[in-house]
Amino acid sequence: MEETRRSTGSALTFSLGLAALVSVVATVALGLALPSTVEQSDFSRLIAIHPGVAWASYVAFGVTALAGALWLWPRTRRTDWDLLAGASAEVGVVFTGLTLATGSIWGRASWGVWWAWDARLTLSALMFTLLLGYCALRRVPGDPDAVARRSAITGLLAVLVVPVNHFAVEWWRTLHQGRSLLQDIPGNDVDGKFIFAMTLGFVAMTLVYAWLVVHRLRIARLEAGIDADDLDAAIEARRREAVPA
Amino acid sequence: MSYVWAGYGVTLVTLAAYSVHLVRRGRQLARSRK
Repeated sequence: MEETRRSTGSALTFSLGLAALVSVVATVALGLALPSTVEQSDFSRLIAIHPGVAWASYVAFGVTALAGALWLWPRTRRTDWDLLAGASAEVGVVFTGLTLATGSIWGRASWGVWWAWDARLTLSALMFTLLLGYCALRRVPGDPDAVARRSAITGLLAVLVVPVNHFAVEWWRTLHQGRSLLQDIPGNDVDGKFIFAMTLGFVAMTLVYAWLVVHRLRIARLEAGIDADDLDAAIEARRREAVPA
Repeated sequence: MSYVWAGYGVTLVTLAAYSVHLVRRGRQLARSRK
């Protein structure tokens, strides 16, 4: 029962939070201990953190779109799907913002500029703007079903930018490096230590994302309940006013 | 190395601040529901 909780915490969030904390600490320790490289000096240590936050932003887009689709499908329509879509989008704003911030720092270190209108960077900025727009759209007052419908459709359209952004480094000539995993050029794969640190970063940021989304979803449920209570109280007040004295 | 610290720092501080915000907001709302 959400209503009897003293917080949005639970055994699930405790376990998830602990796993997230341990994996983040391990990622940071491993990332900072990575050796310098000939190509990138010590900036290559950002590989443990930047791809992980970018991955979490992709996950946020995917969950927002999937939850929106489940709300749109009449057989699976539940308010929770709409709330989950909103929660994932808000957490996604944080991760997409961090992708831009850490990418900008890495760009300044290796390219000498904080920003370039490169395909990957521009599409990442577009993803950030789309999520902000999605969150703004959810706050436009209206019938709850209409808000959920337009949000779900927006989420489904917005997710289309994710594969375009992912393959941007192959489709266009970009400043941003190509993919680090499963490269087509034999012998050009990234060293195993870097791959391990990056993979650990993916796991850590996925766990952090999940922990944040669970809390944000529970907050959304509480807010929805409070809104419903406020509406019931307002209706009751109007009824009392309508009764002749 | 300062760019590396900046990258890790901005990520950890942002995630920690947002986590604290969510936990505090959740507690506040849960208490107001009682």
